[in-house]
Amino acid sequence: MSTVSTMPATGRVSVGGAVFAIALVVLALVPWFTGSTFHFHIAIMVCLAAMASAGLATIAWVGQLSLAHGAFVGIGAYASVLLVTRLGVPFLIALPASAIVAGAVAYLIGKPLLRLCGVYFVLITFALNELFRLVMLEFPSVSGGSSGIAGIPKISLFGIVLEHQPEVYVFTLVMLAFVMALLWTIRNGPLGRRFAAVEENLVLAEASGIPTARTQNAAFVIGSAIAGFTGAIMAHYIGFISPESFAFQLSVSYVIILVTGGRLSLAGPLIGAIFLVPLPEFLRSAQQYQHIIYGVVLILVLRFLPGGLAALPRKLLGSERSGG
Amino acid sequence: MSFLIAQSLVNGVILGTLYLMMAIGFTLVFGVMRIVNFAHGEFYMMGAFAALIGVTWLGLPYALTLALTVAFAILLGALVERVVFRPFRSDELSGMIASLGLAMILQNGALLLFGPDPQAFPSMVSGVFRIGEMIIPKSRSLALGVGVVILVGFYVFLMHTRFGRGLRALVQDQEVAALYGVRPEIVYPLGLGLGIALAAAAGGLMAPLFGVSPFIGATPLLKAFIVVILGGLGSIPGAALAAMLLGLIESFTSSFVSASAADIVTFALVVGVLLVRPSGILGRGES
Repeated sequence: MSTVSTMPATGRVSVGGAVFAIALVVLALVPWFTGSTFHFHIAIMVCLAAMASAGLATIAWVGQLSLAHGAFVGIGAYASVLLVTRLGVPFLIALPASAIVAGAVAYLIGKPLLRLCGVYFVLITFALNELFRLVMLEFPSVSGGSSGIAGIPKISLFGIVLEHQPEVYVFTLVMLAFVMALLWTIRNGPLGRRFAAVEENLVLAEASGIPTARTQNAAFVIGSAIAGFTGAIMAHYIGFISPESFAFQLSVSYVIILVTGGRLSLAGPLIGAIFLVPLPEFLRSAQQYQHIIYGVVLILVLRFLPGGLAALPRKLLGSERSGG
Repeated sequence: MSFLIAQSLVNGVILGTLYLMMAIGFTLVFGVMRIVNFAHGEFYMMGAFAALIGVTWLGLPYALTLALTVAFAILLGALVERVVFRPFRSDELSGMIASLGLAMILQNGALLLFGPDPQAFPSMVSGVFRIGEMIIPKSRSLALGVGVVILVGFYVFLMHTRFGRGLRALVQDQEVAALYGVRPEIVYPLGLGLGIALAAAAGGLMAPLFGVSPFIGATPLLKAFIVVILGGLGSIPGAALAAMLLGLIESFTSSFVSASAADIVTFALVVGVLLVRPSGILGRGES
């Protein structure tokens, strides 16, 4: 009986998946239809936000919420900028290097950190994000202090400098696709199954012989490395960084995107970023309301849609079925 | 040198009292409702604006304004508990994320109403007390005095009234407290209201010293956060000890080293305490 009733449901989900994929492709093409530089800029920001939030999602898959994600974006940004400007390293080498630096920092602090769980992990990551900002401000020779580092060289690949937004957009889109493909592979592999087991029930996973501490640390390292990777692209696109760019507010914005999109799904960060990042542009006449709207959306999603927007279609279909 | 030490000591105690007002509200809300309230600083900000409106727009006396601010904050807390936090009672993480949203709404609401510019608050008293070489501004003494009165009043309420006992029982064990007739539907909103009222009172007291703007909530939130981690989430005696400690550390490091060094030292301390003893200096162990 149960198999009969799940058959059409799986069919519907894969149709839904195809619709979702087509919608994504159409959305990604929007800036070329309008041809507006500003729309290209928004699209780049959506990609970067989605990428960083996907890193945060990886950490959420083992049941932890990090408020230090902005700091890891910052670590990647500073690593790449310092490598390129001080040592003359090409961007294409600095980019993976920045992911490695962020991942290495996460690996070093992850072991003691991940003994904490729930709100205690949130609190310590909150403190670490603040500590990162304060320490960076103390070393202006490295960080540029409160005036930051300006005039960061643009992204260049094999000697070709990406001067204009459309070129940067193509590059960011490819990088986002790469990150999402990587996470898809991890999620569907043995590591992903361990993530899910740890998230579902830590004690049970431990009892079943899963090395929970190492599993959580792996998720923390992968998620933070993705944050660092995003930070490098962001720094070279925007051209300016300072310790304040990576403060508490940035970490909170990733949490909002992740929770709104869906904490436990792969598509969640994408949906969250597509929905929230361009939102202020549609509300241009009421721009001062944008943060209030973010706050309201966050509370409403938590209250009525704990699985985030990613869970909305299933929820609608489910209620339709029970209604009819 | 000895005068510098004495002066740092006095400044440290004044700072500590103010931090304690913020921290007790924060830790009470966590103890009662298991919510890490990231909007706590915004209630400090609202208290400061309420005092500004009372004193400069309505021309009320300062003492009456403070009393009205506290009453208003208790009502607001009960409303916020009902509308925002009640659905997340069994879910610490979602409650905390909801408080992030609440903080954004409150801060940007204030920005919309009052604009970003800092507003001057008329000083309530002027002049200084001189004890030997020490200098204590009267405005600070006033804030300290009223702060101590409010804290003592809160202590008496918590230890010697029916509601206070109910609150403490709920902090210790929710199920047993409910069995003994503590009614969560009254005590939860009251607990959040009281916690918020302490933050708002601190805002009203600090407004004459530091001015008023929509962004003033961030620092008190950080201080409350540090104090509460050091003292143990949910522990009021721990908060008292940690608040005085933090006040003294800040006052001494900024007199003898530098203000930014004080910030780094305290945050490093927070990370250290969380790693070694997550329940804080005087907190109970995690269940």
